[in-house]
Amino acid sequence: MEVVGICGSDVHYLVDGRIGPFVVEKPMVIGHEASGTVLELGRNVKHLKEGDHVAIEPGSGCRRCKYCKTGRYNLCPDMRFCATPPIDGNLARYYVHDADFCFKLPSHVSVEEGALLEPLSCGVRACKRGGVTIGSTVLILGAGPIGLTSLLAAKAFGASRIVIADFNESRLELAERFGANCTIQVCPDDEENDVIEHVYEAFDNKQPSVSIECSGAEMGIRIAILVTKTGGKAVLLGMGKTEINLPLGSALFREVDIKGVFRYVNDYPTSLDMVATGKVDVLPLITHQFPLEETLEAFETARTGAGNAIKVLIRPNTDSSSNC
Amino acid sequence: MAPLPTDNLTAVLYGINDLRLEQRPIPKPNDDQVLLQMEVVGICGSDVHYLVHGRIGPFVVEKPMVIGHEASGTVVGVGKNVKHLKPGDRVAIEPGEGCRKCNYCKEGRYNLCLEMSFCATPPVDGNLSRYYVHAADFCFKLPDNVSLEEGALLEPLSVGVHACKRGGVTTGSVVLVLGAGPIGLVTLLSAKAFGASKVIITDIVENRLETAKKLGADHTLLIQPNDKEEVIIKRIIDALGCEPTVSMDCSGAETSVRVAIQATRSGGVAVLIGMGKSEMTLPLASALIREVDIRGVFRYVNDYPTALDLVATGKVNVKPLITHNYKMEDTLKAFDTSRTGAGNAIKVLIHANPNRKL
Repeated sequence: MEVVGICGSDVHYLVDGRIGPFVVEKPMVIGHEASGTVLELGRNVKHLKEGDHVAIEPGSGCRRCKYCKTGRYNLCPDMRFCATPPIDGNLARYYVHDADFCFKLPSHVSVEEGALLEPLSCGVRACKRGGVTIGSTVLILGAGPIGLTSLLAAKAFGASRIVIADFNESRLELAERFGANCTIQVCPDDEENDVIEHVYEAFDNKQPSVSIECSGAEMGIRIAILVTKTGGKAVLLGMGKTEINLPLGSALFREVDIKGVFRYVNDYPTSLDMVATGKVDVLPLITHQFPLEETLEAFETARTGAGNAIKVLIRPNTDSSSNC
Repeated sequence: MAPLPTDNLTAVLYGINDLRLEQRPIPKPNDDQVLLQMEVVGICGSDVHYLVHGRIGPFVVEKPMVIGHEASGTVVGVGKNVKHLKPGDRVAIEPGEGCRKCNYCKEGRYNLCLEMSFCATPPVDGNLSRYYVHAADFCFKLPDNVSLEEGALLEPLSVGVHACKRGGVTTGSVVLVLGAGPIGLVTLLSAKAFGASKVIITDIVENRLETAKKLGADHTLLIQPNDKEEVIIKRIIDALGCEPTVSMDCSGAETSVRVAIQATRSGGVAVLIGMGKSEMTLPLASALIREVDIRGVFRYVNDYPTALDLVATGKVNVKPLITHNYKMEDTLKAFDTSRTGAGNAIKVLIHANPNRKL
């Protein structure tokens, strides 16, 4: 294993021992945003060879159910996903994985970028669910790692105007570097209607055609529904409370579709292509790197957000050094 | 030449519980319109709502408004540009006309036009009158085998059709319909016509479910008002033998919407047709984590041709929905029947043509 990034969900399992119905009941290896170097191949593996650097898509389905066969393996009820209990993750020096879920990195794509294909794929999936394309106007709520990868993906997909909102000024600065046309700094006591007004100003008094909600907060979800233009899509990536008070009438009356996103499916090739062709530069997301021996410190940094942490990487391979 | 008609009895809503029949001038069609002798006008829940509450959401009856929008008529005059219709043609009337110039209209979603002019949605007059003019391209000629009553029913049927298209209902779909009022019933009819392999329909009123069974429901489920969500969901899945791929709420009730979201299979669609409270507390995580899309429905768009085809080819029989027929002079009684649901009323029709026998 080369590089493993820390995700908010990894931190959540550490702090709460569970996410919804997934409970850590027995010891579980953590980590799922990863890249590695191929050391050995199973007999049937044809498309990889020893020495290849790969990005590792962490979840494989059963391959036999109707979800797997109809191209929605992310919804497989028997999905085995790294570091979602009870399945072990891949923060280890060595790890085995289904070869078809390992994507060979071209020589100019680093192993750090390879690990970042995981969160990037979430942003890619959100944009596909929202139908983001040339001419789309996109509002992104939340500028954490997922909001930022959604921003990168939206730009790559051709959105003509992207506005991103968050509480945190330094995250919004990074968002600007990533190409957000406008940023909105939200204050904790802002009312829904204040934020909505800022959104309309940022879009020149028009409503965005797609909103991508990346915070999971009820207010973010409500705003996503209320501001999206009639006939548009509110893509809800962030997961928050199980029960949310929604302005449903606004969505129904105006045919604003509400679409959730569960991880990604067949999106790693797209993400890899975006990075490999230079359409997207994910490296600025990386703020901290730790050797495997300092994993606890790495998690503490990710958990507290110390030092304006965005993406914290852990390096299990003592022989390799960072390129970035 | 026959003498020009002078009787244009019209049903006008003046305010809450103040519906009056009065004479109005007979309108003249412009170059793109037809003049219609109105034949059949059905009463919709929204018409009743305007009568009882004087408003629906932001739409308020501020000045007298002609009621009625589920209608059929006979062409008696055509504007200069009208080519596809001639006097004597019987037509179904799609009640809403967009501006034709905005992006919604040009991109094929005229139902979302911000300048939509829709019969009997304030301030636009409806068509419960003896004579009425309408954009000719929104009038659909009925073949000989389709009656004027069926023509009027194309309006609610189009809601069911649009809902099925929004939900992607097709061959092999397993459909849950919540609510067996007129909209639930046309949704059931549409779902079966679109090829759904199994449709289960729920309601709290038993005789509505009996009608649903006659209209082709594969399963019906009577719900008690205090039934717990989990119990309802389990009974639905047990009856179907699997989770539905598309759920279609036709009630607007929060519990039904919640059931629709939770019961639907992963990757499926919860279509929400019924309009209830504008704010609802919903089990959103269940929808998001399982990618169950939530899609609202606003009226219909380019669905009248489909609805007409379904009726004309016999794929759908809407006649059992008709329970009551009234002469226009008895409009107030008709509304009362519709409002109270007396006599197991489903679709109450008003006949505006005095020369046509009921």
